[in-house]
Amino acid sequence: MKVRGKLMRGLAGAVLNLVPVVLIGGFLSAALVRYSPGFDVDENDWNPQISAATRAALHAERESENHLPSFYLNYLRAALHGNFGKSDHYKLPVSELLADRAGATLELVITGTLSGLLFGGVLAWFAVWPRRTILAVAAAGVSGLLLAIPPAVLALEFFQRDAWVEMALALAVVPRVFGSMRAILTEFAASSALLAARARGLGAFALAMRYVFRPALPRLATLAGVALVLAFGLAIPVESLCDVNGVGNLAWHAATARDLPLLCGLALIITSIVAVVQSLASLAGEPTTNP
Amino acid sequence: MIRIRRAAILLLVAIALSGLFAGKLAPYPYDRQDRQAIDAPPDSKFVMGTDDVGRDRFSRLLWATGVSALLAPAAALCSIAIALMVSSLTALGRPALNYSIDGFTTICLSLPWIFLFIILRSELPLGTGAAAVIATTFGLMGVAGWPVPARVFTASIAEIRQSGWLMQARAAGISAPRIAIRYAWPHLRSLAMAQFYILIPAYVLAEASLGLLGLGVPDPIPSWGNLLVDLQHPDIVRANPWVLAPLGLLIIVMICLEILAPQKEVAL
Repeated sequence: MKVRGKLMRGLAGAVLNLVPVVLIGGFLSAALVRYSPGFDVDENDWNPQISAATRAALHAERESENHLPSFYLNYLRAALHGNFGKSDHYKLPVSELLADRAGATLELVITGTLSGLLFGGVLAWFAVWPRRTILAVAAAGVSGLLLAIPPAVLALEFFQRDAWVEMALALAVVPRVFGSMRAILTEFAASSALLAARARGLGAFALAMRYVFRPALPRLATLAGVALVLAFGLAIPVESLCDVNGVGNLAWHAATARDLPLLCGLALIITSIVAVVQSLASLAGEPTTNP
Repeated sequence: MIRIRRAAILLLVAIALSGLFAGKLAPYPYDRQDRQAIDAPPDSKFVMGTDDVGRDRFSRLLWATGVSALLAPAAALCSIAIALMVSSLTALGRPALNYSIDGFTTICLSLPWIFLFIILRSELPLGTGAAAVIATTFGLMGVAGWPVPARVFTASIAEIRQSGWLMQARAAGISAPRIAIRYAWPHLRSLAMAQFYILIPAYVLAEASLGLLGLGVPDPIPSWGNLLVDLQHPDIVRANPWVLAPLGLLIIVMICLEILAPQKEVAL
């Protein structure tokens, strides 16, 4: 019962966090669309068959609709129904464009994040478990070198060599999770329970699974959430430069074509996804899931 | 380790000075075109060759160092200043205010800043001058980067508020501004420096990635980001390996900054 109560409180907290994030993200998006250059321009302004009085009446009607608070409410209402507006550049609904490209991005981000966590974990393992200074320095050196290379350059290199582009994203994630993984491993590798088990002669694999991996799981889940959010940001240069037909590529095209409705719809959706992932990750990190 | 850190500092100072005095050190202005020497290989006149419009690569690299290596710390300073201002409000000890600040920081941490950044960047009118674009690019980075250091400062301020020495100082009748400046600031200063060193490489990398996408510093002003654009053409790299010089310099600077930065981990 106690665990369930904690979990419910955690869920309530996650929802409380999610709502303002989405509302603020939506407000920023709506404000940007509303005040974007050319928003007030109406094609009727150039129609010679419409009188000046009619044009003025049309403008007055639009003005009341386009007042920021009412515009924001309408924007949110439409967004809740899956209508994020229409792209200026592609002349297609934002939701349709997004649905077409979400699969490629999800595949890239999930594969890249998981591979990045795996490589980061292996590197951290080498840095901590064998307790050899040279290995620790080498692991930190590899991570430092990967951090020094811009993710966009990594993506370009993989693309030009016709290599697996998910690997570029994975290598960009590695140095960003290495420090945390090393810290988690160091903490659990020095625990008294592990030392006692080692003294009892337990094998290395059993030691690692029982005394390091299992207790570290909630924190690793939180780290995975953080890494997933990082990967969403990193996906923009990777997709754009490697010509992956995903959401990041769409965002880049929208930015270069100054397609604000599309960018704002994307920002709102990505904000919601990021908020959900962070809430889930922080919930997974709660000790209630693994007391 | 001290020797390595000293070497890193020396290298960074040398690179920063070369960028700062690019006007004196560079043989040509960054935008001077020699139409007779388009894509010229390295020679005695152009030590790193020229680009596709005949501009000296070496001169542009020096100017780019000035833009990237000096404006990234400025953006980091901006983030630290905002973070200090926001987190110092928690020192007032008003629970409602603290809760609001914590909530606002959490929300800002959840926002996909790269998307908001490219939205705001694409909002700039087409005729915006290069200087305004540079100021906007680095200014936005500075504004977007405040939540993480603010979290660290807020936690430190909460610790300071619980400390025994603060109670003693209050009991001794020392005024709040004096406590803040004389006693609390030295504690925060080291943290602020640490956060500053962490943010600089992040901003250098962000500018490089944005520049490579064409969303960073606009041509003709050079930056490490827009000089990396040539990497998209392998034939240019093969013809003149000096095209890789900005990347090499960027990696050296990043490694030096990593050596100097305190150990950092993703906050869990």
